[in-house]
Amino acid sequence: MNRRLLAGALLAGAFTALALLSLVWTPAPLDLIDITARLQPPGAGHWLGTDHLGRDLLSLLMRGAATSLGVAALAVSLGALVGVPLGLWAAARASWLDELLMRGNDIVFAFPPLLLAVLLSTALGPGAVSAILAVGVFNIPVFARVARGLALPLWQRDFVLAARMAGKGQGRISREHVLPNVAGGLVVQLSLQLSLALLAETGLSYIGLGTQPPQPSWGRMLADAQTLTALAPTLALFPGLAVALAVLAFHLLADGLRERLDPHREAR
Amino acid sequence: MTRLLALLLLVLWLPAPAATLRVALQLEPPLLDPTVGAAAPIGEVVYGNVFEGLVSLAEDGSAQPRLAERWLLSPDGLTLRFTLRAGVRFHDGTPFDAEVARFSLDRARTEGSANPQRSLLAAIAAIEAPDPQTLVLRLQRRDGGLLQSLGSAAFVMVAPASVATNPTAPNGTGPWRFAAWQRGNRIELARFEGYWGERAKLERLQYRFIADPSAAYAAVMAGDVDLFANFPAPEHLAQIRADRRFELGLGLSEGETLLSINHRRAPLNQLAVRRAIAAAIDRQALIDGAMFGYGQAIGSHFSPRHAAYVDLTGQSPHDPARARALLAEAAWPADRVLSLKLPPTAYARRGGEILAAQLAAVGIRTRIENLEWAQWLDQVFVRHDFDLTVIVHAEPLDYGIYGRDDYYFGYRSERVKALLRQLGDQTEDADRRATLQALQRQLSDDAVNGFLFQYPRLLVQRAGLAGVRVNAVGSLELAGATLPGAATAAAADHGAGPRALAWAVLAALGVGLAVLLRRAEPRWLLGRLASLLLTLAVASVLIFALVQVAPGDPARHVLGLQADEQAVAALRAQLGLDAPAATRYLRWMAALLQGELGESLTYRLPVQQLLAERLPLTLPLAGLALLLAVSLALPAALLAARRPGGALDRAVSAASQIGVSVPDFWLGVMGAWLFAVVLRWVPAGGFPGWEAGLAEGLQALALPALALALPQAAILTRVLRGALAELASAEFLRTARAKGASRWRTLWRHALPNAATPVLTLLGLQTAYLLAGSVIVENVFFLPGVGRLLFQGVTAHDIVLVQSLVLVLVALGVSLSALVELAARAADPRLQRRGGGA
Repeated sequence: MNRRLLAGALLAGAFTALALLSLVWTPAPLDLIDITARLQPPGAGHWLGTDHLGRDLLSLLMRGAATSLGVAALAVSLGALVGVPLGLWAAARASWLDELLMRGNDIVFAFPPLLLAVLLSTALGPGAVSAILAVGVFNIPVFARVARGLALPLWQRDFVLAARMAGKGQGRISREHVLPNVAGGLVVQLSLQLSLALLAETGLSYIGLGTQPPQPSWGRMLADAQTLTALAPTLALFPGLAVALAVLAFHLLADGLRERLDPHREAR
Repeated sequence: MTRLLALLLLVLWLPAPAATLRVALQLEPPLLDPTVGAAAPIGEVVYGNVFEGLVSLAEDGSAQPRLAERWLLSPDGLTLRFTLRAGVRFHDGTPFDAEVARFSLDRARTEGSANPQRSLLAAIAAIEAPDPQTLVLRLQRRDGGLLQSLGSAAFVMVAPASVATNPTAPNGTGPWRFAAWQRGNRIELARFEGYWGERAKLERLQYRFIADPSAAYAAVMAGDVDLFANFPAPEHLAQIRADRRFELGLGLSEGETLLSINHRRAPLNQLAVRRAIAAAIDRQALIDGAMFGYGQAIGSHFSPRHAAYVDLTGQSPHDPARARALLAEAAWPADRVLSLKLPPTAYARRGGEILAAQLAAVGIRTRIENLEWAQWLDQVFVRHDFDLTVIVHAEPLDYGIYGRDDYYFGYRSERVKALLRQLGDQTEDADRRATLQALQRQLSDDAVNGFLFQYPRLLVQRAGLAGVRVNAVGSLELAGATLPGAATAAAADHGAGPRALAWAVLAALGVGLAVLLRRAEPRWLLGRLASLLLTLAVASVLIFALVQVAPGDPARHVLGLQADEQAVAALRAQLGLDAPAATRYLRWMAALLQGELGESLTYRLPVQQLLAERLPLTLPLAGLALLLAVSLALPAALLAARRPGGALDRAVSAASQIGVSVPDFWLGVMGAWLFAVVLRWVPAGGFPGWEAGLAEGLQALALPALALALPQAAILTRVLRGALAELASAEFLRTARAKGASRWRTLWRHALPNAATPVLTLLGLQTAYLLAGSVIVENVFFLPGVGRLLFQGVTAHDIVLVQSLVLVLVALGVSLSALVELAARAADPRLQRRGGGA
């Protein structure tokens, strides 16, 4: 097991564990507003301090992890569940459908997730659903392209040709022969996209288009903290660090997995 | 499209606007005539600026000459004779004289007049105007406070002909005349050239109204306002004070903040109980917690700014032990829960929480009820259904409320009434002072209410703004105000430098584009153009569909919930909202092709005009970020690729890994904290405009561009280094080394051009991301660019604005990608030979 994989897996695992834990337990109740204990620096009672309403920062960060990871995971799953079959299909057909798909991809690519989120928020109202849809829809062409790129060369391989001669349909071949062989590369992409989706989700929450209060989210915490950095800089420091570490974790995981799956390629 | 370009070019030539002062207040007045309306915001805008009274009040409460030059009170105190100023005219030309003065005061004091302070003139029996410059008030009894009362906003001088129109188009004698009122938006006043006194230094005043604390903070940081009179968010003052663009004017207002006690409710009518409540209160902790330290503790109902003030906070210090003892003495029932009803202001909500905790610490349990204003007025003020409440009494010199039996807190005291009567009789300053001090002591001894603190005046203004006067009533007198650098009539314009640079860049880009187009294959070019247009067409359909799905009626959004059906229908017709979707789409497309992007529903301005104002910020920002990213990535990647696997390579790899993981807006926030708040090297936000000079503009964009650039640089470094490393083993490179080329030369002249292709492709993609990323970064730094405009459009549900802006951003993104592809193909002929679309 290489170093990146280990580091990435540990960090990512830790974040996921904390996020899941926060759903049942946090060091302090999330809705406990105590103005007298507001803006405390890290200390005995509150390990990371308190926010402008006196809420425990550590608890908010844990629940924020659940929110951000949840939205990111759902969005990436959406992208993968729709994009991978599309990509595999395009690789199987290699016809005008393939062209159409690639053109369609270009169009979706023209909309950075932020603009998509803006449009969806105008249509559906801001919230986690808009964020998930925006990031998810953007992930579809990514997975489609990757799946297609990985699957295409496989269709020239002997075992696939043999299966075709045996009379298996394209769909079956894709499922039984192609998919297992591209799974590794897809998992790498999944991890990478998770890290990017986390960044996107945080950005959307920051400007108010993602998860809405009172649900804690890292981006929202950063937005609130921004106006108080003169009084309490740690309030902005910790959420940002959390985001950076979580994104780094999944990025490392992706790099480590890529190295593991293809030792001939130098991990960059 | 050409119209947009023309507007853009126009912006590059526009001179700076006339000297206008932009003032923000919290609440918009319902009308502009203080003689018929009691709301404080009315006086805040017009008193001292548009309207003037016979006298004005100095900070210490004493009367100063205004429209009256001097006055004389008869020895028996029953005749007050004013000598009025000569040569004074109203804005509409009507001359001001004693007849007009008599008319104004008679109108105010008549039975049935709408004047909110009518009762203050009750002592007047008759008013005479023997000659144009003399006004005589004949009193039926002595009234020591009459002169001060005449300084109230309710008794300004009005012209008989314009009383009916004053509420919407005020006509007064002041240094500013009414220019325009866009309800819900702004009020504009222009300099009155015929003023009797010193002419105002600036030409125009613009008032806008921002009550929301976050919006107020954003407006200040973005530089949207020059002066915020009563800033609603003390929690942000530390941040604003740390920003070298602003100055704070801190003082005290005329508002006493009280924990009002309902004397009608037993056992709150017991002195021991009230004294216990007073002893339970820790004023300083309250001020620190609710007001972030702004405000001054008071021990009675009187403003510390006044000459007669006596500090009685020592009479009711924080003493929980004493409080408990007093409660025991009064046999306080342990199960009694007091209702603490709070109005919707921040000081009340926060203060209420803190007070509840302080009272609980001595054994008084409370139940907090948060009310809206209408509810508070009804329950507390009218029906007296409350035990405790927290409220600021904003009227100056309003101690008279303690003499009213029916006032909302229900206090009755013969001693206080006697003192007030005595005060009415006295006209000598020394006598009045003594009586006022006795009054303060009585109120403190009786512990009538919990006397908390004098509400602060939180004034935020641009650094260098001078000459702002706050009068005793709390309104700003702005005749003497001057903006920094605007000493002469023509404001200084340093825009020549940036304009020249913009032209140079445009020219260079134009030449570059021409070269690239010449070298490209026509067939590929046409194909790519077709593909581009197709993408845009589909994108436009997508955008239109999503935006039109938005719930609710856009016309109703714009006009508000109370709008009547006719107005809504008219607006719908005007916007063409009743046509079927396909028709509306085609109309939009047709307009687009002519360069018309529609009219924004919130700004009521053409979208292309709004765009033209903001592109000169967003485009240079994105360009600067790209430049920074490339300048950081190139050396980093070259250094790393020199010795693959070496120490430097590993360091760069680690740094870029971190750089990719960090959100750019967090970098912005922390960067702003370090460089703006702590080091004060750069402003924390806002954009002074390119007219302020190239250096100023770049200074404001430096931090945002850096925040945008760092993650991009990290990505670029990784890709470039990867591409260079892959090439490292290439034959042609080994040949170059064999021929004796140094490591550097090999990299620079041979490897780099070949690695350029994937990098250029990446750059193309990243430009679209940069544009989108600038949306967020502009919000971090309150930059008035396209990104902020888009976001404001989303919040305001302005579908026309959102629709057009998103399409423009998408078009910019795909066009830039196509251009970069063009450059890549020109740089790498192999791409051309492969043929077809990439």
